[in-house]
Amino acid sequence: MLKINNLNATIDNKSILNGLSLDINPGQVHAIMGPNGSGKSTLSNILSGKKGYEVSGEVLFEEKDLLELETEERAHKGIFLAFQYPLEIPGVNTNIFLKTSLNAVRKARGEKELDAIEFLKLVKEKSKKLKFDEEKLNRQLNVGFSGGEKKKNEILQMSLLDPKLSILDETDSGLDIDALKVVADGVNTLRDKNNAFLIITHYQRLLDYIKPDFVHVLMNGKIVKSGGPDLALELEKKGYENFN
Amino acid sequence: MKEQLKKDFDNNIKNLNLSQKDIEIKKFCLDNFIEKGFPNRKEEDWKFSDLNQLIKNNIGELSFYNDHTSTNKVDTSVFVDGLEHNKIVFINGRIEKIDFEYEKKDQIEIIDQSETINEFKNSNSLSDLNNAFTNKCFKILVKKGYQLIKPLIIYHSINSKIWSKNINLRLNFELDKDSSLRLIDLFSDTSEKNFLNIFYNFELKENAVLKNYKVDKFENKNIKYSFNNIDQDKNSVSETFILSSGSKFFKNEINCNLNGEYSSAFVNGIFSLNNDKHHEIRTIINHLTKNTKSYQLIKSVLEESSKAVYQGKIFVNSDAQKTDGYQLSKAILLNKESEFNAKPELEIYADDVKCSHGSASGSLNEDSIFYLMSRGLNYQQSRELLINGFLLDVVEKITDSQIKNLIKNMIGIKE
Ligand SMILES: Nc1ncnc2c1ncn2[C@@H]1O[C@H](COP(=O)(O)OP(=O)(O)O)[C@@H](O)[C@H]1O
Ligand SMILES: [Mg+2]
Repeated sequence: MLKINNLNATIDNKSILNGLSLDINPGQVHAIMGPNGSGKSTLSNILSGKKGYEVSGEVLFEEKDLLELETEERAHKGIFLAFQYPLEIPGVNTNIFLKTSLNAVRKARGEKELDAIEFLKLVKEKSKKLKFDEEKLNRQLNVGFSGGEKKKNEILQMSLLDPKLSILDETDSGLDIDALKVVADGVNTLRDKNNAFLIITHYQRLLDYIKPDFVHVLMNGKIVKSGGPDLALELEKKGYENFN
Repeated sequence: MKEQLKKDFDNNIKNLNLSQKDIEIKKFCLDNFIEKGFPNRKEEDWKFSDLNQLIKNNIGELSFYNDHTSTNKVDTSVFVDGLEHNKIVFINGRIEKIDFEYEKKDQIEIIDQSETINEFKNSNSLSDLNNAFTNKCFKILVKKGYQLIKPLIIYHSINSKIWSKNINLRLNFELDKDSSLRLIDLFSDTSEKNFLNIFYNFELKENAVLKNYKVDKFENKNIKYSFNNIDQDKNSVSETFILSSGSKFFKNEINCNLNGEYSSAFVNGIFSLNNDKHHEIRTIINHLTKNTKSYQLIKSVLEESSKAVYQGKIFVNSDAQKTDGYQLSKAILLNKESEFNAKPELEIYADDVKCSHGSASGSLNEDSIFYLMSRGLNYQQSRELLINGFLLDVVEKITDSQIKNLIKNMIGIKE
């Protein structure tokens, strides 16, 4: 599904990713763990099409060059990024945003756009599952939301858009154990043989709830070690220092 | 210009039935204008908007005589749908219609004041020009305790019969004790290169409520100046909202005198400009007695090489203890060539007051755009959502819900 080959990225002449390679196949869950500043968010941003990086190397998504697509085209093709720091958008009603987003994606996929009633039914159902306070749907997007509410909102968007590849950038940080379970539940219900997840995290805690197939250690913009779920436990015990 | 002014003035006077004394006054005003000319950047109030240059560059030679002997056909297609309202229709400066069809007739008086020239507390030469050339002036008196059932929309239409003309308008409003009026000024122009010069005077008696919404939305190449003087007695409220967008140039000036205790004034505005448009809002709020309040919020979205100016002055005299004055302006510059100028002025002579001002401008937040686009919205949609979101809180300041919805629709804010 996703093939990253020798990816390099610099910003303002500062090199952040240094020859990163990674393959993700349908049905798989990959976890990337790495210390602060190792380039995890940069990787997420580049996969989603954020501008401002100088990028070289190759990224194929379903055999096509991903790097030449606009951000919204990547969303249409099924890439979703749950932001580490979801943005607050004043004056934009959450419901209206969610509906606009869902219909933009549905339209691009050649599916019928949902009318207001169909949409509300769907969003209520999904919110309930995620224990996302429905009252928040009528508020301005992420404005005044707690950290946990923002993260849940990301997962709500993920479950609405039903992506092929979901990237979760430290969705677990700042969550209490209940919220963490809800988020993990959201991922596990979505998980099937046709889609894939890239879970970026700092702690192995989340991986108790979302069982990864592969764990990778990212240091200085490069994957230094890959393994199975046990690698996460090993990391937790030894710390990152011993992986350099 | 001088010869043109004199000739046009004589032509104009011929059609009016004025006493010798009134003619003298008008002549005096004309001479004042001839001496001063159009305001230019050397005047403090006009330093960001040189009207003299603007007229020179965009119109060239103006003429001042408008033949008002024959009626203009009222184009009913400009009337606002879905909102029952009273109407005053100006076409090319001529009053074609005054219709308070929804109101109790004995509660509103329309007084012809064409023969009285009242002085405006505005020292700029445009009031002289206005005095010299307006030939009809009405006062609309809302009687004690009467609250108009429906809003009044004043249509300011300029049709293609005229070109390079100066049009002068004047209206006076008196809202007697406990009365209220919702007034929308709606501009629609199908002709170019004219200069519209409007003066309104409002007298708000005790407890009176005025809501004035000025809507300059439709694209046009005219130059406009509008001056509101508002005098407020005890407990009265004035709410002014300005949507400044369609004209080549528009300067809205609000002079508000809070004369009575517990009176309050609200001025909120949006500049939404593109191309090389240049608009200004100039406010002077005079807190003249204790316990008065003013609040101003101005937001701008500026594209291409457009320019917006907000000069807001809060004056507090020594008797005006417990004054509460607030003003804030925020601008989004969508282009390196666009420009926003804010000049706040606080002049405070009382010690127990609460006054604040602030101003901020910047470009559209790229991270927010990325966030929205990563959810499948294209750049255009993302931008529109952010801009409408930015403008929403000013629109939400409109206290009349029907008119708020009308203006939301005009701006394209969806609910
Ligand atoms: N916009 C930027 N400009 C300059 N340096 C940046 C920028 N974004 C990230 N960096 C730097 O790149 C490195 C990796 O950042 P990031 O990808 O956010 O790391 P992580 O998510 O793993 O904590 C850090 O050293 C950070 O300071
Ligand atoms: Mg990060």
